[in-house]
Amino acid sequence: MDAVERANAERQKRWVKDQKIGEGTYAVVYRGREASTSKKVAIKKIKVGQFKDGLDMSAVREVKYLRELHHQNIIELMDVFSSKTNLNLVLEFLDSDLEIIIKDRTLVFLPADIKSWMAMTFHGLEFCHRNFILHRDLKPNNLLIAFNGQLKLADFGLARDFADPGYKMTCQVITRWYRPPELLFGCRYYGTGVDIWSVGCIFAELMLRTPYLPGESDMDQLKTVFRALGTPTEEDWPGHTKLPDYVPVGQFPRTPLRDLFTAASGDALSLLSRCLTYEPRRRVSAREALHHPYFTSLPYPTHPSKLPKPVSAQSRPLEEVDGNVQLSASGPGVKAAPPNRLKRKLSSPIDGLRPLARKLDFGQAL
Amino acid sequence: MPVTYTGNEVDCCLGRIAKEDGQETAGDEEEGVVDGEVVMERRAGRDGDGMEGMSTRGLHGGGGQGQENKLVQINCDPRQHRSSRMTPAYEASTQFNNWRFSPERLVLVRDALNSAAVAAIKSAFDADEPGSSADVSFLDAQEEHLLVKLYITKIPQLCGHFRFPEEVEATAITYLKRFYLRNTVMDWHPKNVMLTALFLATKTTNNPISLESYTSNIPRTSTSDVLDLEFLVAQSLNFEFAVWHSHRALWGLWLDLQSLSDVTEDQRSRDVYETALKHVRDSRFTDAELIYVPSQIALVALSLASPFLAQKWLDSKSSGVGESCSETLQSVVVAINDLIVHTGHPPDVEAVREVDRRLKLCKNPEKVVGSNAYLVRKAEEERKAEAKRNKKAQDIRRAEEDDDPFGNALNEGQPRQQMELDDDDD
Repeated sequence: MDAVERANAERQKRWVKDQKIGEGTYAVVYRGREASTSKKVAIKKIKVGQFKDGLDMSAVREVKYLRELHHQNIIELMDVFSSKTNLNLVLEFLDSDLEIIIKDRTLVFLPADIKSWMAMTFHGLEFCHRNFILHRDLKPNNLLIAFNGQLKLADFGLARDFADPGYKMTCQVITRWYRPPELLFGCRYYGTGVDIWSVGCIFAELMLRTPYLPGESDMDQLKTVFRALGTPTEEDWPGHTKLPDYVPVGQFPRTPLRDLFTAASGDALSLLSRCLTYEPRRRVSAREALHHPYFTSLPYPTHPSKLPKPVSAQSRPLEEVDGNVQLSASGPGVKAAPPNRLKRKLSSPIDGLRPLARKLDFGQAL
Repeated sequence: MPVTYTGNEVDCCLGRIAKEDGQETAGDEEEGVVDGEVVMERRAGRDGDGMEGMSTRGLHGGGGQGQENKLVQINCDPRQHRSSRMTPAYEASTQFNNWRFSPERLVLVRDALNSAAVAAIKSAFDADEPGSSADVSFLDAQEEHLLVKLYITKIPQLCGHFRFPEEVEATAITYLKRFYLRNTVMDWHPKNVMLTALFLATKTTNNPISLESYTSNIPRTSTSDVLDLEFLVAQSLNFEFAVWHSHRALWGLWLDLQSLSDVTEDQRSRDVYETALKHVRDSRFTDAELIYVPSQIALVALSLASPFLAQKWLDSKSSGVGESCSETLQSVVVAINDLIVHTGHPPDVEAVREVDRRLKLCKNPEKVVGSNAYLVRKAEEERKAEAKRNKKAQDIRRAEEDDDPFGNALNEGQPRQQMELDDDDD
């Protein structure tokens, strides 16, 4: 056996695969544990043999970036090993994601809770951007929640280094509802602002408990954005009419954010509008956002361990399903909106399999 | 892999320069995000490590520390969080932590690898036909290295043909070097490894092309030549794909020079940059990147092109740094200089041809498709896999037989372990 093979065999022995918990188009996810400590992990097995061009680009990206990024608010890639023609990623095991939490109608969010999730999101994102990495697929179900409440950015299958000025990037990134208008207009030169827009959408979604800008197609997405935030003028966003795929989609008046976000604080709306600014270069940076007064004003962010988290369906007594409201809490609580036309499509209908299968899906390859 | 590093002092020294400067520039960064020029600078810092990356270092130091503390309170372990903030980006990289060696260590690693390989191949020969290893002359570590070096020089040629960006070329070369710190040419001939490393580099640097069009443009190469080795190469690299390059660091230095008021435009002509870049490219034929950080190599390349500019740049960064630091830096400069000047060129083709001729006689028979030893090894692997498959099939059958398709009887006691019917084939 070669030295390389031997080293791999040793790594493989460190981890034990238990049951399968999800399956995506090209990866299977298992629950597993570290043999020596019984620490829980998720093992994502990527089938390599089936691709005619060898190692798949999303797998390459995910491994490349997670190998380098070590931060409390970014999912930890603990090990990589191969078994025959499969690539196995050993990831820290995370029970939940922000989408599940937003949709769990038994949970009540306090403004301090939202502040805590936002702070953790910006911490993780600032670390990516500081390392010159764009995430390019931020959305609630890529923000995973650990047992102790820590939020972690996951799914780096679309991530890339910033390009040099003058080098094109693809605009076919970021899930539609979280995609910024410059990408919808076909902009091929962009920067960290694209991730910030997504975070703005997530921020709004945390307050509304329903997706903020749910367009039904790429064209409808623009309309949805403009309906919510007003059609940008040349002054709001100089030069946007010259973008490659620019099309006029109609004139909508600007309505104040206050009209929709009735319960939000002034600081919260100020940060939200800095994230959802049309001109990408005027958008707040992750680092500036962390210094925004929103994060230092009262109420202070909730400690991660005290954040609302879903109680698993089996262990929750039936009569408590709707009785989870904390009346003593300060500030208005926000409950999830009832299911409506904006109901999300589940990529896997089976409830028991859902969380990990979905959150560990690499997303569409480019 | 244990790593010792002799240039450590210099590293710290450069790290310190970077941090100090970072605090000064922290303010600029905040205002300058919109400005294309600044964005360019920040980007250039990325691959370069410490020295010219300092505009990014602004993120670690500078103002806002107090506020940061307030934010940190929401995290469970503030210390852990702070430390991740304070580590300069380059020092957190896998390159810094896993792929740096002292020159002595490098020799040691290669010698150990070579003798282990020779021992293994000898026994493979003897297992095939007892005593047959006696009159085989195996390659030594230097000869292996010579052959690898020849294939390193092929990469720029291929990249020119495909018009790949510089990053692909530099990354592929790094992969090839790293591969042969874990493997021997007597197991894996560098020709196919080189082609695979280059193909992998196109993907890891986000410049993918289809395997079909890649191999069809290279004479006498099939898709399987590349595909068969891709996994092995990725594995040998420990799946650490990100590489920091000295040509990026050089670009960072160059941008810095543009902001120095006492350097005129004539003094920093494009020719100087091109010459420096040529020296960076020469350095890729050497072990420099396995020993020194990218910014050190870039600085030496610049000083070879224009000692004046290198000194100017150094002066602008090193105010307040002690004598000893500049002395240590000086010795590193001399060492890299020696490397580039003495070994930064393609090897003598005749010498390599001789090595390659001998390699044909001493390569590991287990890796030669069709040889006896290869067939024996394959048969053994197949037997093991077959046994495993049989066991698995049996387990599944047993589980199915045990389970009544209409459900088990009630009150059966403990629920039985549910059999996982997965497609796990390992």
